[in-house]
Amino acid sequence: MMSLLRRIAAVTRKEFIHIRRDPRMLASILVLPVIQLLLFSYAISFDVTDVPTVILDQDRSAESRDYLASFEHSEFFRVVDHIESDVEADRAFDTGSAKVAVIIRPGFADAIARGDKADVAVLIDGSEPNSAQLGRAYASALSSTQDRQILVGWAESRGMDVTSMGSLSPQIRTWYNPDRRSADFLIPGLMVVIIMIVTIQQTAVSLVKERDQGTFEQLTVSPIRRGELMVGKVLPWLILAFVETAVIVAVGVLLFGVPLRGSVLALALGSVLFVFSSLAIGLLISARASSVEFANMAGLLVSFLPGFMLSGFAFSLESIPPALQFISYLFPGRYMVVIARSVFLKGADVATVLPQLGALLVYALVSLTLASFAYSRRL
Amino acid sequence: MTSVLTRQGLRSECVAGDGSLAIETRSLVRSFGDLNAVDGASLSIPRGSLFGLLGPDGAGKSTFIRMLATVLAPSEGDAFVFGHSISHEQNAIKPRIGYMSQAFSLYPDLTVRENLDFFAELRGVPRKEMDSRAKRFLEFSGLTEFAGRQAQHLSGGMKQKLALAVTLMHDPDLLLLDEPTTGVDPVARREFWRIIAGLHCEGITVLVATPYMDEAERCTEVAFMDNGRILLHETPGALKKRVCAQTGEERVCMEEAFAHVIAEARSGEANA
Repeated sequence: MMSLLRRIAAVTRKEFIHIRRDPRMLASILVLPVIQLLLFSYAISFDVTDVPTVILDQDRSAESRDYLASFEHSEFFRVVDHIESDVEADRAFDTGSAKVAVIIRPGFADAIARGDKADVAVLIDGSEPNSAQLGRAYASALSSTQDRQILVGWAESRGMDVTSMGSLSPQIRTWYNPDRRSADFLIPGLMVVIIMIVTIQQTAVSLVKERDQGTFEQLTVSPIRRGELMVGKVLPWLILAFVETAVIVAVGVLLFGVPLRGSVLALALGSVLFVFSSLAIGLLISARASSVEFANMAGLLVSFLPGFMLSGFAFSLESIPPALQFISYLFPGRYMVVIARSVFLKGADVATVLPQLGALLVYALVSLTLASFAYSRRL
Repeated sequence: MTSVLTRQGLRSECVAGDGSLAIETRSLVRSFGDLNAVDGASLSIPRGSLFGLLGPDGAGKSTFIRMLATVLAPSEGDAFVFGHSISHEQNAIKPRIGYMSQAFSLYPDLTVRENLDFFAELRGVPRKEMDSRAKRFLEFSGLTEFAGRQAQHLSGGMKQKLALAVTLMHDPDLLLLDEPTTGVDPVARREFWRIIAGLHCEGITVLVATPYMDEAERCTEVAFMDNGRILLHETPGALKKRVCAQTGEERVCMEEAFAHVIAEARSGEANA
């Protein structure tokens, strides 16, 4: 037992020396994440404000003015013109002077008075998908809150019981990130992507490098078991991954003011399982790769692409093609992104993210088992 | 260990083997695809010998040694190192052997001392002895002043001496050296052999694969390998005497004897 621990410690110590003596590796561990954090949080902002908007009010009632006022007061929309006809909306889109047109048809106030659903047409210029998607989401959010206010106001003025009204309860949307600040949305996801890239990339080359240097044969003639070698090699990255997670969380909360509303335990549990899963992927690559170059490429492919594209970090997973959605289940990123965002923004606790934690647990167990099998092959 | 250096060359005083076998291979085969790199090699190496495995490039020497080092599993046949099978008793063999592969196989970014310590830790060298052993081997391989230098910045000869020192840290009974002096300058080569001779004197059995015939002269026994087979196994003296008798020459050097044996074997194969 003692000699087992001693061998593992020896390997871990050696790995730390490798890391310390390799400037490129150090840079990719320490500098790259910082650059990514800054890049994504400052430079590439998904924030959209002041979207030029035109308004067409054909109802001209107190209710319609009330409703439209909510657009005028929103930071998201900037009302540039009150127009008189649909044709003008078209023209505004064509010339680019507006991206959104809000149109209220005659009968809006009457419909509300009847307790029916009042129709509002929100036209969005889809040529800028990001603004368009946000515009749509915003408009419907505004409408639904506004809707209720109008209806509640109307019901109360008539002394009716609000809860008995069918049309009052629908569509309650809760916005976890009401300001839609990019940083709040991005940093929890970015944490996942960075950890995935660093751990997979570095462990992917670890074993191949030993083969390349011929040191693997020296290890083979020593009494060290494959399992011990694997643990010893993975430990430094486990430690570094946790340090990095903590640093990113701290930077996110302290520097970017990202709220950490939920259970830190849930985040920690998720991180542990996620890091293990990522390390196992790296180990699998390392055990199978024929050269350092191959391992590097495979590590890049398996960490960068799924990290950015298939984790839900940048693109909503519902909006990608079904085939890719299916593939996204094969990488641990998507589960962890949900956990991170839920904990940071929704204030989730362990129970809330239990499905994702369970998925990661299964993932970690299966991938680590596969990795240790791949590792224990004889030459 | 300094005594080794002063005692070197005095082979008559060296520790003699007790007649038991350090290595015994039985029809050992290792194939890579269609090619049989080792093709039914049977060889017995007594304890205490300094055994030279000679043969041209591609003869199968490295594959043979790697199997004995338990790095490579045999395809057929078996071999015994100190009586333990290389097929299923590797763990009994590993602690007793030191293996130096043909290519430099230490960590280039680790220092001399870090390499020594790392492998000693893996080998379970007692903590108390680590420091004294490291100092001793650094001393006798002339690397003391380079202890803090990264292995990648050593010269070829120093690298080989470091690799040898690493294989010695756990006090093995058998050294398997695969062309340890290939690519090393003559002065360093002679120095290296002086160390090997010293180790042999201390009772360590040494199996060394080499393409250099002058090195074969220093061995107590030699075997020729060609096309994955062991062609002959005798002492250098007996071999030369036999070749002299066959060719009618008064004296032959190992190189000529070697060429003669290979030619003989190949013509024999062609006739058959």
